[in-house]
Amino acid sequence: MTIAEDREALLAEIGGQNKATIGAVLGSGSIAKATERADGTMEATIRIAEDALAWEPSVLVLPHAGTVELTIINDDKNTHACLLPSNGDRKFIGLLNHSKGRATLELDGPGYYWYGSPAGNDEGRGLTAAIVVGGEVPPEAKLDRPAQPRP
Amino acid sequence: MTIEYVDAGEAINHSQLSSMPHVAPDVTRGVNYDRILQARSESHNWITYYGDYDGKRHSLLDQINVENVKDLKVAWIHQSSATGMMASTSTYAFEACPLVVDGVMFVTGWDGLLWALDAVTGEQLWRYKHAVPFDVTLCCANVNRGCAVANGKVYMVTQNAQLLALDATTGEKVWQKTIGDVRAGESASLAPLVVKDTLITGSAGGEFGVRGHIDCWDLETGEQRWRTYTVPKPGEPGSETWPAEGEAWQRGGANHWVTGTFDPELNLYYAGTGNPAPDFDGEVRPGDNLYSDSVVALDVDTGEIKWHYQFTPHDLWDYDSTMEMTLFERDGKKLLAHFDKNGYMFVLDRTNGELQHVTPFVDRIDWGAITRDGKFMPRKYPDKEGEPCHFFPGPAGAKEWTHASYNPEHDLFYVPVADVGATATRRRREFKEGMPYWGAAVEVDVDNMAGSVSAFDSHGEEKWRYRLNVPMAASTLSTAGNLVFAGTPTGEFVALHAETGEELWKFQCGSGHHSSPSTYTVDGKQYITVPVGWGGWLEGIVPGMSGQGKGASLITFSL
Repeated sequence: MTIAEDREALLAEIGGQNKATIGAVLGSGSIAKATERADGTMEATIRIAEDALAWEPSVLVLPHAGTVELTIINDDKNTHACLLPSNGDRKFIGLLNHSKGRATLELDGPGYYWYGSPAGNDEGRGLTAAIVVGGEVPPEAKLDRPAQPRP
Repeated sequence: MTIEYVDAGEAINHSQLSSMPHVAPDVTRGVNYDRILQARSESHNWITYYGDYDGKRHSLLDQINVENVKDLKVAWIHQSSATGMMASTSTYAFEACPLVVDGVMFVTGWDGLLWALDAVTGEQLWRYKHAVPFDVTLCCANVNRGCAVANGKVYMVTQNAQLLALDATTGEKVWQKTIGDVRAGESASLAPLVVKDTLITGSAGGEFGVRGHIDCWDLETGEQRWRTYTVPKPGEPGSETWPAEGEAWQRGGANHWVTGTFDPELNLYYAGTGNPAPDFDGEVRPGDNLYSDSVVALDVDTGEIKWHYQFTPHDLWDYDSTMEMTLFERDGKKLLAHFDKNGYMFVLDRTNGELQHVTPFVDRIDWGAITRDGKFMPRKYPDKEGEPCHFFPGPAGAKEWTHASYNPEHDLFYVPVADVGATATRRRREFKEGMPYWGAAVEVDVDNMAGSVSAFDSHGEEKWRYRLNVPMAASTLSTAGNLVFAGTPTGEFVALHAETGEELWKFQCGSGHHSSPSTYTVDGKQYITVPVGWGGWLEGIVPGMSGQGKGASLITFSL
């Protein structure tokens, strides 16, 4: 069995379309952090590169719960879509070849969410990615007890 | 050369790509405390979780009755299975009790879903979908048991411990409060209860060593009125039932994860509480561990615990007591009945918690015994590290959270009974926040199981039994049509004669039942509605049926 030091080499072996796997393995791509404006609103760009059938980044990190404004870019020569989590309803956008759009999401935290391209089996080929929300719940929602050990 | 991107525009709500009108009639505007106090008198509606504050789950509707129930047919079906990746992808279940107000149905699903439906046609009027984190801590599945309505709003909790108020005509969010700490392992699954100008909620997370609590929120603003912890701090009443030194109380569990009942004359809210934590390793928490596995009667204005009764002191079997506390009267006395996971039916004086009598309601009980006057005598429990201990009932209990109903005309409780055992092997583990804290390896029997809908009078005498070869895992519904409705794990929805248990009608719904049916009329026509969708804590309730297959439908019947 291969050990952890070989992770990058192994990921390179399976990375991309029609290599070890038919599609891209979820969560095996890049990771990036959203930026934050002074008012706390977060911003980030997610995109689909040509023939990648994967979201870039595959993990987007938000420092806290709240509103994030996404720019969504399809650099692929095929049509895709994006279905994103947001409080109230999922947000949908169609992405023609070489198109760019926007989405505003409201997300609780902490926790993480998956989103994808609901077209054919885009989701299984690799167009499923994560939004990770860090932080803690508001102080008033915490239990009245001393701090507890965490894993 | 740079080619300009095609403008894809702004992402839209997914529900815009549907036939939904996104608007519902303003039916909940006039639903207030006075109306909920008289909920049973408007049996054409089902305006609060149990149909009334007393928890009887009994409707006065009788258009569908023993004579014509054989002609019951499907009126409409609402379907909505999962979309995309979500928490507990394989174990989510449809556990709700639908509310109906003047022709509009409000029903919650899994994963933050709430639908407003036309109660006659099943048409979706609007949908709310909360974004629930994929990694939220859930002991037992992605579920929700229902909503509350009042003053033009619909209220629900989410799996990631949020309390929401929605505009009942549009599904738009009005306010949101965080009511628990997901990092601590807290979640929420119960239907809120409207009492006066407030909402009552509780928390889940007893399998993760949280400290249970019951909360009261302002109906209009969401501001907190009070919080009562169900595990006392050192020095508070009840703290003598926990170790004087150490951290046990801080992780003591006792969560209120099923809606309570309410007596407006006594001004008391009857809350059932869950297991102490860790579930099976009692050595780390010597004492009775109040107020776990109890009913606590709270002054609804202050949250003060006026009295309590503990059904399983120092629990070692995961015998939560969160299930309904049914309020009824007998011989001029105000009483409360409770069918506990530990296999016994308790009847208490609900003015003071004084025990009236205790009676077993399942065939196999060998963890110990409780005498009719309430003496508690444990015999078998996980004790020595690594030594398996088999006991009846298993940790899902002789009756899980699913509710009994009560027909006052016949003085009969209709109880969904589970008869299955389990083996627990104590395995101590160090407490770490957010991690499972059971203190044992647990395996519920996959065969040698049985179940029933059993009818008991208020003295605990069994009057009839509708037998199944699998444990029952869904609530019953009693109606003045002299009927009892119940859904089985194998998918049948059955109508039984209220006095004899004779099966009068059944329909195969295509998936197991783990929910609470309700009934209503619109334009003089009676409907019976039942959420169907097998899932939940099946490895605990009925592991022999955990491969049965999934489903996610709301099926509504009429003549």
